[in-house]
Amino acid sequence: MPEPAPTATSASVLDAAASKPQHANGTTPNRTVLATSVVGSYSVPEWLERLKTDFYQRRISGQYLDDIHEVAIKAALKDQETAGVDIVSDGELRRDNDIDYFLARMPGVEIPHVAKTFYYDYYEAYVRHPIPVDDEGATLHLVDDLRFTLRYTQKPVKFSFTGPFSLARRVHNEAYSSSDDLVMAFARILNREARELAQAGAAVLQIDEPFLAGYPEEVGLAVRAINQVYEGIEGPTRAVHVCYGNRYARPVWEGHYEFLFPTILDAQVDQLVLEFARKGYDDVELFKKYSTASLSLGLGVIDVKNPHPESPELIAARVRRALQVIPPDRLMINPDCGLRHVPADMARAKLSAMSAGAAQARAEVLGTSTPA
Amino acid sequence: MLIELRASDDRLRGPKAVDAAPILTSAYRAIADSLPDLSRVRVVADYIQYRQNFRDAVELRRVEPWAIDSATLDGDARSWEVAIDLRRAKPDLLEATLKDALDETNGTSSRLPLEQWGHGSRSVIWGFNGLYWKALSLWEQATGKSYESALPGGESDARNVQAARELILKLFELWDNLSTRRALPEELYVLEIGVGNGNQAAVFLDEFRRLDREKGHGYYRRLHYLMGDYSPHVLDLARKAVAHHPEHVSSLVLDALRPTETLGFLRYKAFLVYISNVYDNLPTDEIVRIGGHLFQVETRAVFDRSAAESLATSVHAKPDDLPELVARLLRLGPELLAEVLPEHFPTVTDAVTFWRSAWEALRLEERYVPLIELDTYEIAPEIGGELLRPIVEANGDVRMHVSNGAATSFADTLPLLHPHGVLQCHDLFVTDIHQYVDGFRGPGKYDGSVVNWVNGRLLAAIGNRRGFDVSFASFAHRTGANVLTMTARSRD
Repeated sequence: MPEPAPTATSASVLDAAASKPQHANGTTPNRTVLATSVVGSYSVPEWLERLKTDFYQRRISGQYLDDIHEVAIKAALKDQETAGVDIVSDGELRRDNDIDYFLARMPGVEIPHVAKTFYYDYYEAYVRHPIPVDDEGATLHLVDDLRFTLRYTQKPVKFSFTGPFSLARRVHNEAYSSSDDLVMAFARILNREARELAQAGAAVLQIDEPFLAGYPEEVGLAVRAINQVYEGIEGPTRAVHVCYGNRYARPVWEGHYEFLFPTILDAQVDQLVLEFARKGYDDVELFKKYSTASLSLGLGVIDVKNPHPESPELIAARVRRALQVIPPDRLMINPDCGLRHVPADMARAKLSAMSAGAAQARAEVLGTSTPA
Repeated sequence: MLIELRASDDRLRGPKAVDAAPILTSAYRAIADSLPDLSRVRVVADYIQYRQNFRDAVELRRVEPWAIDSATLDGDARSWEVAIDLRRAKPDLLEATLKDALDETNGTSSRLPLEQWGHGSRSVIWGFNGLYWKALSLWEQATGKSYESALPGGESDARNVQAARELILKLFELWDNLSTRRALPEELYVLEIGVGNGNQAAVFLDEFRRLDREKGHGYYRRLHYLMGDYSPHVLDLARKAVAHHPEHVSSLVLDALRPTETLGFLRYKAFLVYISNVYDNLPTDEIVRIGGHLFQVETRAVFDRSAAESLATSVHAKPDDLPELVARLLRLGPELLAEVLPEHFPTVTDAVTFWRSAWEALRLEERYVPLIELDTYEIAPEIGGELLRPIVEANGDVRMHVSNGAATSFADTLPLLHPHGVLQCHDLFVTDIHQYVDGFRGPGKYDGSVVNWVNGRLLAAIGNRRGFDVSFASFAHRTGANVLTMTARSRD
């Protein structure tokens, strides 16, 4: 018999975003206890990979590819809505990988060779002069992507972007004597982006730090940079996603989330979005071990490195396991990481199972029957 | 008419050269006398280095038309390819043989088919190949020699102490580094697929233990060496070779095509996967690009009528009974076959003799069928044919292996690697597509098994798409061999 889940209070059924203003697309913030979301990326089918690569080999134009991306994003939104996901994303379908989209737009970053043999490859990027952090006109234009997404969904939208620590790890730094300075310069640029995204109506902002698990001794620097990015941000839920890597659907690092604590508690964030389904749920206990009352958890319940869909029952069991430690008003349900490498039919099945499993757990928490 | 000589330079000129001119002249005369439209004929001449193979000296292949050609050409739009083995073709016999073959093109074949036309990777020859490894001890008893002695050079490439030492020291360096960062798991896994007689494992383990004691790491205590092989007989031999490392070795009967089925627990845990002379023995299709169009090479296993009659007589059967007898041999193996069909095979030895004779007589007919929708062609599970496009489009007209079995095995093995793990593979690799133009890359017969060179370019593309750098180098510790070392390790 699983331990009974904590009962939600009337206050706890309101998620962290409940007191936030109405979203730009006219929806009210999400109020569902154990709300479901995605981490960010959505399934990239082989044909889209081919077209993205065709662009780099000058077989199709940038305009053509932009149109393709827009159609793909609309389809991704529809898939998430159909699967019952409460807080959706654009699937990061415009992005070749977790790094290049940002570095290619980042002021002061040089990319000498922009051709690729495969779209997913990383650019070689250089910073040869200090980043012009005070240039208000230097922008990544991420808000345009958000506005597009908001036009095509009535659901609250999560907007994720790679954080300054991981971005700096993929840059040849020839300008700063300390890589810390490069990280903080990126953070200041990203802070402007975050302010625009918040203003435009993102329900959740999420900083992804895919490389942090490989540099556990650098958590302090990463947290300082996160605080810089989120400085002055009000409105959206401020999240940070840390996983053990998902490049080519493979883990890049191994270990446990213990390395984040207690330093991560100094981060001015509302939510940690973490990977559990692949690695097991022992690290949930860290939320009991440390004073995390101000933090909610984006609980990974979908193993994105396993193409086979989980059952709703398994999802519900995973949520129940987390509920032994964390009250329902501080839990959001999501996959372990982005769904980029999961085939589209499996991604749809996984998200549907996630929604159904979350609904089961929600019904238990609220004492209602599971919706059909 | 197009004539293509697919042989290395030293077979076309110099002291080792074959005199191709009279062979081609004979072929030209036969074709000119027999076919009305010479523009629809191509002649390809290989030098087949395998003394045992699946071809006669001259073969005729039908090339089915692409739909667009059918629509624009009057009448029969089929084309023909005449395939000649430069090593065996006799100019004085070739003209008559080829004329006979061309005369048969509108009638029935004089050969006895054992199967329907289909992809090469699904041919009955792979049933023979599988049986060889399953019933290897019976084959070796009959031939009086071990399978290793049938390999070129008489041994596998896996017993070099220096090579093992280099591998082990690199592992120690990696583990030291991970240990410093408290990221080294307690269990340290090494996997070998295709263990041969166990010599590689024995050399590796002996050297590992010696170096570990010398350096005082204590890694030997944590080491798990997994030996996987398709053949229980081979595994038995290998186990004896490493019997002095009992607490560190586990052996598993393993289908090299699907290692994760047996080794699911090993996902992301293997620091070294070592594979030697396995991929060249796995099923493969071939594709061919002619005039910019892609074709699938379809094959059909056959016996020549005379060989069929002789074989049938030897087991008190009729030639038409042979397809069923062969199918039962492959399904049951020689021991059970002798038990259920004593009227044909009074003893197991008789069944093995039939097996060996059938193998020797086995030929493959080929035809080319348009390969229209490349994205629907499956190289391996979850690897679509589009991955082939940049390779075939960048290299003009070419015939090449798809190495489906190797691709399947490779793609299914990569997930077993630890994020810092390495896959190392010794085998016959084609690393430049031009190698398909200047040499014959299979299929050939090694004793009772099949050999094809492996399309290294394709494996590299598969690895790249999965986040691995794939490189090839000459096998550093043996000279004069065709074997290369392929290394795959995580990139970024």
